[in-house]
Amino acid sequence: MIVFQNVTKKYGTADPVLAGINFIIDKGNFAYLVGPTGSGKTTIFRLIIRDVIPTEGTIAVGDFEVDKISKSKVPHLRRRVGVVFQDLKLLADRTVAENVMLPLDFAGMSETEAKRRAEEILIEVGLGDKKDHFPAQLSGGESQRVAIARALVFNPDLILADEPTGNLDTKTSFQILDLLKGINKKGTTVFMATHDDKLIGQEDRVIVLESGKIVEDRKPAVKSSHKEKKEEKTEKTDKINLESLAKK
Amino acid sequence: MVSTVSKYIRRSPYQALSAAAIMSLTFFTISVFALLTILSVRFISYFESRPQLTVFFKDTASRSDISALENKLKDTGKTSTVTYVSKEDALKIYKEQNKSDPILLDLVTADILPASIEVQAKQAQDLTSLAGIVRGSPLIEEVVFQKDIVDTLVSWTAAVRKIGLAVVAILIAVSTLMIITIIGIKITVRREEIETMRLLGASNWFIRAPFLLEGAFYGLIGSLVGGMISIGLFYYFAPNLESFLRGVAIFPLSPLIMGELLVIEVIIACGLGMFASYLAVLRYLK
Repeated sequence: MIVFQNVTKKYGTADPVLAGINFIIDKGNFAYLVGPTGSGKTTIFRLIIRDVIPTEGTIAVGDFEVDKISKSKVPHLRRRVGVVFQDLKLLADRTVAENVMLPLDFAGMSETEAKRRAEEILIEVGLGDKKDHFPAQLSGGESQRVAIARALVFNPDLILADEPTGNLDTKTSFQILDLLKGINKKGTTVFMATHDDKLIGQEDRVIVLESGKIVEDRKPAVKSSHKEKKEEKTEKTDKINLESLAKK
Repeated sequence: MVSTVSKYIRRSPYQALSAAAIMSLTFFTISVFALLTILSVRFISYFESRPQLTVFFKDTASRSDISALENKLKDTGKTSTVTYVSKEDALKIYKEQNKSDPILLDLVTADILPASIEVQAKQAQDLTSLAGIVRGSPLIEEVVFQKDIVDTLVSWTAAVRKIGLAVVAILIAVSTLMIITIIGIKITVRREEIETMRLLGASNWFIRAPFLLEGAFYGLIGSLVGGMISIGLFYYFAPNLESFLRGVAIFPLSPLIMGELLVIEVIIACGLGMFASYLAVLRYLK
């Protein structure tokens, strides 16, 4: 689903924000991107949706060669990737339902159909009764849910969640995590940035960033089912591929 | 899209009002000068269709003297028509031209009007030599060249047109700058919203279109308001103007011409509004 090959990102002549980043996240995986503030987590997400382009290396997301696609294709890429931004980016002057409907407007969906779809998603994230509220009238957890609903509204292949539990208490953080895990169980790949270790389990895929470099890429250790064995095999293959790519 | 545009306009009504007002002023001025141009073209055409040379006779000139002069002109072979207008004919023309003003009719009799001949030349360059023939005669009171009148009118209208074009150019520049500024402010205010829409997958067209339509909307309102006010004022003052230009057949101007003028203005205004918005979008939505 996501392939980073030797990706480096520099701004001007300063030291690189990211240096030699290699990783692969398979379709349907749930992966964490962990690291302290300023380690480059958000830059990785910005690279995935081509908000910025890499200085070196290549990035693929699904069928999109992100670093090579034309500007006119960027909106198509972004409609396949649902993003929960760190600052949420909810529009204050629009209701919850209107915020969720926003991406559907871009696709030219009729207002009635968009409204129906938005309401469906809001029920799914537990906010069916808040559709006419404005973002300022919501709690932190509810706002996160709206951002998740907006990311989900297009049925994306991939969800990027940038610190979705950043400002939430532990209980609400786990509720948001459960919601994202539930989405992942339905087949959507979820890539979540966090610096909250409490949320990460032993069996989770974790990419650890420090000062723009991957210092650890921990893959699920416990595999029991046939499916998981198959996934493990794929991940090993990915690792071999990455190593060979890194050597090139 | 339309609802987005209407929302953008409703959120900042004073900016919208300013943009529409400057566009109205611009297109009011354009309408006024367009109407003046139409009228001046008709005015000039009227004089161009008049006899090219009018020779007024002294009261001492007899009909036979005038006929002799007519024949002399015809014999040159340079005239296409030579028409005699007696004192009585002149009175009839005067009465026709002033039928709405009985005081003027009471004051004038055939005796005080001069007899005349109206001459059309086959070629314009022959008018000078034809005038030379009649000017030598002691029977002549005055020789009027229509060309002189037309030339004077043409130079006046050309001057008015130049002033009009300069004023319109200035107003168009001011309107364009005003719309660029207003749309620019709106883009700046909405920068965060636009950025969010971009990140969520909105195409450039989806983001730009409402601003372009908003510019076109200001053009539409401006041209309709400005055009309709000027046309309304024209119809209101037309009777006075008609009475002032007594006898010069330039009225009425048909509503069809006014309709065409309005449609052309609407098209130009919408184009101008969109163009100004496009410049703002290029400048502020890089």
